[in-house]
Amino acid sequence: MAAYIVRRVVWTVPVVLLVIFMTFMLMKQIEGNPFRKTERAVPAAVQKNLERKFNLDKPWYVQYTQYVKGVATGDLGPSLVLRDRTVNDIVKEQFPRSIELGLYAFGWAVLLGVPAGVIAALKPNSRFDYGAMLFSNVGFALPNFLVATLLIYFVSVKWGVLPTSGWTTWQHKILPSFTLGLVPMAYFARLVRGTMLETLQADYVRTAKAKGLRWRRVVGVHVLRNSLIPVVTAAAPLLGYIITGSFIVENIFAVPGIGRYYVTAVSARDYSVVMGLTVLLSIIVIAANLLVDILYGILDPRTREART
Amino acid sequence: MRLRVPLLIAAAVVVAVALVAAGCGGGGDKKGAAGDGKQAASQVLKMAWGAEPPSLDPGLATDTTSSNVLLNIMDPLVRLGDDLQPVPALAESWDIDGKAVTFHLRDDGRWTNGDPVTAHDFEYSWKRTLDPKLAADYAYQLYGIVGAEAYNNAKPAQAAALRDTVGVKALDDRTLQVTLTSAQPWFVQQMAHHSFLAVHKATVEKYGTKWTEARNIVTNGAFKLAGWKHDASITLVKNADWRNADEVALDRVEGRIIVDGTTRVQAFEAGEVDTLDGAGLPPADMPRLKQLPEYEKYPALGTYYYGFNLKNITDLNQRRAMAFAIDRQAIIDNVAQADQIPATGMVPQGMPGFDVIKQDFLPTRADLEKAREFMDKAENPKRKITLFHNDAPGHKEIAVAVQAMWKELGIDVTIKAQEWAQYLEFLGPPPSDAVYVYRLGWIGDYVDPMNFLELWTSKSGNNNTRFASPAYDRLIAQARNTADDEARYELYRQAEAMLTGPQGELPISPIYWYTYTNLERESVKDTFKINLLDQFDLSKVVIKEA
Repeated sequence: MAAYIVRRVVWTVPVVLLVIFMTFMLMKQIEGNPFRKTERAVPAAVQKNLERKFNLDKPWYVQYTQYVKGVATGDLGPSLVLRDRTVNDIVKEQFPRSIELGLYAFGWAVLLGVPAGVIAALKPNSRFDYGAMLFSNVGFALPNFLVATLLIYFVSVKWGVLPTSGWTTWQHKILPSFTLGLVPMAYFARLVRGTMLETLQADYVRTAKAKGLRWRRVVGVHVLRNSLIPVVTAAAPLLGYIITGSFIVENIFAVPGIGRYYVTAVSARDYSVVMGLTVLLSIIVIAANLLVDILYGILDPRTREART
Repeated sequence: MRLRVPLLIAAAVVVAVALVAAGCGGGGDKKGAAGDGKQAASQVLKMAWGAEPPSLDPGLATDTTSSNVLLNIMDPLVRLGDDLQPVPALAESWDIDGKAVTFHLRDDGRWTNGDPVTAHDFEYSWKRTLDPKLAADYAYQLYGIVGAEAYNNAKPAQAAALRDTVGVKALDDRTLQVTLTSAQPWFVQQMAHHSFLAVHKATVEKYGTKWTEARNIVTNGAFKLAGWKHDASITLVKNADWRNADEVALDRVEGRIIVDGTTRVQAFEAGEVDTLDGAGLPPADMPRLKQLPEYEKYPALGTYYYGFNLKNITDLNQRRAMAFAIDRQAIIDNVAQADQIPATGMVPQGMPGFDVIKQDFLPTRADLEKAREFMDKAENPKRKITLFHNDAPGHKEIAVAVQAMWKELGIDVTIKAQEWAQYLEFLGPPPSDAVYVYRLGWIGDYVDPMNFLELWTSKSGNNNTRFASPAYDRLIAQARNTADDEARYELYRQAEAMLTGPQGELPISPIYWYTYTNLERESVKDTFKINLLDQFDLSKVVIKEA
């Protein structure tokens, strides 16, 4: 297991280098002047000064090597648009909030989605089952910006129960994390219900019941553990959803995370921010996948043998 | 005995009436006092900013949010009065002698660390903005000063030598002498722009790029930057040591940064903020918001226009036909919906000199009859054209409306949307050959028609039409050197006529003049004002009692 982990960590380096290279090339292909923010043309002297300051007047391979060197030393470069801040500043200050948002969203998904799926599976075709699956379908179908705006309208403006936007007190954090957690919630509910229904048919469950084990123990220890394996597998791609969904949710709820700025940075052609955040997010996705694989190994002994 | 009962009753009635009268009178007085705008006990303004300021360094800031924060925490040399003429601020007076402008500073300007504000601060700051090493986006705002463009254009090796050739010099602590490249009668008004603010040298040198953080920044204006949580909030507190502090009513301004337009409106309607910053209301909500008592609109110095690529739409009569077929008022009423003003020229209403400059040629409503006449006269009309616009909200709807209007002339319009940065590259100049018509707007930098008319000179980087007229260039050059307002406005009138007059070339068809729309609660509506340059002065805001 340890060798496996080390190998995976070592593989991260070439993957990240590839990500940097591809992002770098893509950004260079997109036309657009990062220094022209409005319709005003940028005078030649000003353009020259800006390109010199940000090393954009050097050939692309020089820029690329300088950037990679920077990443290796942990310096993600200055922002081309937010002139007083570096990418490191932005990440240090704002990234924790995005992580918090993502974790809370995931928390909602686990707290509401998993139990909903479990109960739906234990009482198939009941009113609860239909209700939970209806909720799940709606959660998938509604785009998160629509849910966000509706929630703000009803909960904040009409009823005045929670604030409309921001990220300061715990009341501020409820609506954005719930909105972001809606799709994972829906997904988990369905997934857990499906795998549990399957597992409940298995022979060993019937054996356990025949042996006289308490139903609660059968479900809680044997069935649940096996049903959660697909959930763990699903968690990694869901991370992708949470990352991209956070762009919209952060924008609408005015959450000062990096997601919102990531999208505007592309339109603004803020090369260093786009590259820095892409590198960061790819490292996170790689780490999350590794974590999932380790968890998988713990949960399912069969895979442990296959790997070494 | 019998008489006493009626007497008692009469006495009771008199007493009752007297009490009621006293009660009424007292209540009426109290109501009157509150309704007359008594100041609320708590002078804390809660507002929403529409964007995170990319930089609070006057040398680096380019956008409206940064500009508004800066103009409230710093003291400019002049401010713009209600009539858009310069009003003394940090400069108590100035002398203009041809190309030389001398500012005399007040002696009570103070930085928040106690240092006095001197002319040396301004000389240092302006030269810093022009330093090629700083790579200031708005360095060109200072190009009217002798030596400025050369210094900004210099290679790093030669830059240091050119620094002192820039025509700004502090003769002493209170006298700032500026030498201009030409008369530029609008120069003093330009001083109201944030690019001309002074920065505190020692702070800048000590903290480098971090000098604008709230914990480091040193300012000299009516408010202090008490807190700046990036992307989240901006907090201003009254600067008790400011030269005019006793005229400032607000104690604190708590600003939340909310980028999404709909969320901003929802925060206002939920009572979380009392005013927005004029950053714009979502077009889809406009019909509803316009009915609110809190809705406010302000004229803006800005023109929304459609430009023609003269290489493709070569026939002047076709351009005239297309300009006459556009129903500007209908677009404003049904599509744009922010009470804009139909534009019949490039120079917007509200600009000094407008009454002299404005042309009577283009109509505010569609004139299809005349349009068809022009179209018939056109020798080589292009009947299949492409109309480009950037993909921000609102532009597509206007394009679709204009498409229908031009269909009446037998012109088939294909509408293409592009992402902003790519769109700008596409427009050049020179514009791509695929462009027949494009959409753009121009918001004024300073209050003089020159800012709008110089765009159409042949070498202008903002002229995407391929319009090139030596006569026009000469007019503009002449106007630059004409100090007398009346004479200059006459030259402007001729220039505007060359664009949108009856004999004009019509490289553009203006659509409307912008407005700034805002939501302001009754308690601040009277004193919170946005001027034509999208600036608002928080030192004048007073929160009324409800």
